[in-house]
Amino acid sequence: MGENTAAADRPADLSVRLGPLRLKNPVMVASGTFGYGREYEDFLDLGQLGAIVVKGISLTPRPGNPPPRIVETPAGMINAIGLENVGLQVFLESKLPYLSRRGIPAIVNIFGNTLDEYGELARRLDGQPGVAALEINISCPNVKQGGMVFGTDPAMAAEVVGKVRQATTLPLITKLTPNVTRIAEIARAAVDAGSDMLSCINTVAAMAVDIFSRRPKLANVIGGLSGPAVKPIALRCTYEVLQSVKCPVIGMGGIASAMDALEFLLLGASAVQIGTANFVDPAVAARVVEGIKRFLQVEGIPRVEEFIGSLDLQCTFPFAEESCRSLNLD
Amino acid sequence: MAKHLETARLMEQEPVAHQTYRMLLHSPAIAREARAGQFMMLQVRDGNDPLLRRPFSFHRIRSEAGAVEILYRVVGRGTWLMSRMEPGAALSLVGPLGNGFELPPAGVGPVFLVAGGIGIAPIEELAARLLEAADLSRDGSVHLFYGARTGPELLRSDRVSRPGLRIHWSTDDGSRGFRGNVIQCIEQVLGEEEGLRPARVYGCGPLAMQYRLALWALHRGVEAQLSLESLMACGFGACLGCALPAASPDDPTSERYLHVCKDGPIFPAGSIQWEKIRQQQIAPPIFRCV
Repeated sequence: MGENTAAADRPADLSVRLGPLRLKNPVMVASGTFGYGREYEDFLDLGQLGAIVVKGISLTPRPGNPPPRIVETPAGMINAIGLENVGLQVFLESKLPYLSRRGIPAIVNIFGNTLDEYGELARRLDGQPGVAALEINISCPNVKQGGMVFGTDPAMAAEVVGKVRQATTLPLITKLTPNVTRIAEIARAAVDAGSDMLSCINTVAAMAVDIFSRRPKLANVIGGLSGPAVKPIALRCTYEVLQSVKCPVIGMGGIASAMDALEFLLLGASAVQIGTANFVDPAVAARVVEGIKRFLQVEGIPRVEEFIGSLDLQCTFPFAEESCRSLNLD
Repeated sequence: MAKHLETARLMEQEPVAHQTYRMLLHSPAIAREARAGQFMMLQVRDGNDPLLRRPFSFHRIRSEAGAVEILYRVVGRGTWLMSRMEPGAALSLVGPLGNGFELPPAGVGPVFLVAGGIGIAPIEELAARLLEAADLSRDGSVHLFYGARTGPELLRSDRVSRPGLRIHWSTDDGSRGFRGNVIQCIEQVLGEEEGLRPARVYGCGPLAMQYRLALWALHRGVEAQLSLESLMACGFGACLGCALPAASPDDPTSERYLHVCKDGPIFPAGSIQWEKIRQQQIAPPIFRCV
């Protein structure tokens, strides 16, 4: 009893260990939703974040897709940005130093059209100051193999991860797409090929059309759905991935509050990434960190790692705990 | 020049034209730094539906009162919900965002302001700023060409009139002012007034109007600044959703995009690849009512 009270007075320890990576807290911001960090400097103290996953980088700059690139849907949005980015060289010269000077861990999301491009990116990012880890985006078409997406085939996913693994000693995260029949197979293939961690999910393939113009709402016709609408899919994918591998898993998909983030941690995700919610509330990531801290304190949990993976899979009827509490019976 | 995430208080809301409303919002941090032509992102309400904020340009900036005005037309669910809000309501804003109009150097005139429909929104604040510069207002050298499809879509003249501003009204159906579009109205006035030639043009309106205005200005070698819009998720350069094809005079085959939120929303007429927009018939932005 006395110990519990003492624990409740002290701020909870939010630090997490993800294989070779240690973070001050489990809250990151997802690639493609936070620019290169600086875009958000007016809205929150970037030093409060566990890490920033920067906009996906390719070897050479990419202009992105023709507009319209985004469309709003119920509790979500579909995007087909087309991986617009400044390219590796500009990133290293003018984007990364902003984060490294401030000691903010940068996780660099990389993607290529060929295996060699993935390898080359990893080689040139290896040893760059400020790079905490690489996140491999395998949701890209393999140009040499007729455009089939690397991340939808276990063998191709393994080849990409293997290529990157050979090129760097940096901690590796493989970002999984939910657009597969069995995500666990891709997860195992990536880990067997040397990925230290996994992150899931990328956006859910989606479409929207306009009945007046009788045209698609995106120039690319198909895009990726994100936002609160995908959270239940993301939780299910994270759960399946956690069941199939032993490595740390980073959960994401529709997180917009501390409660959302805690749901992924409860499943066993070692950390989370906030995506689309950054667009709506540019200070949301800081609020999520504070919310997790408050929750742990109120619940008397001294360390977030004690909460991670504490899900009891035996489902009970909801009357027990909740009604006892509201009636002040406990 | 900092951007602010601010909870504003709705002070006034009133209908001002067909399906068109004016909101006065108490938002001191944003009002202090906002400039003509900039915009802000407004969250219609808490929760997930609608999920994204909506961009609105500043209709008037009342720095001394710590307030900004927006003008909006009801085009979908978000603006419909806005139109039902009562004074006192709290609204989350992000702003000021974007580059804003570049005012003409002192002594440069005449200036043509061109507004189509709800495109009057940012033009009003610009007109006020321009007429503060005495040398422009003195000889009535600020012209406003203000058109819409029909008369009821236009603001009442006492809302737009100000000393020194010469207003040329037009409607497609001729129900108010000149019958025809704003470009035809400009041609008509130029034909009547010998020697009148704009030194600079500022425009805002539907994409088809902006396209014609851009070609008109480029053809005559008149510097034109256009306020463009797009769907956008963030408003500050993170989502990259608000792309428009950029003109590349040196290399017409190059594929490059500008972003309405950070490169704009004010663009020189020559910076946009208008032909590509016309060919692709990029859908008019945002939503439509069923």
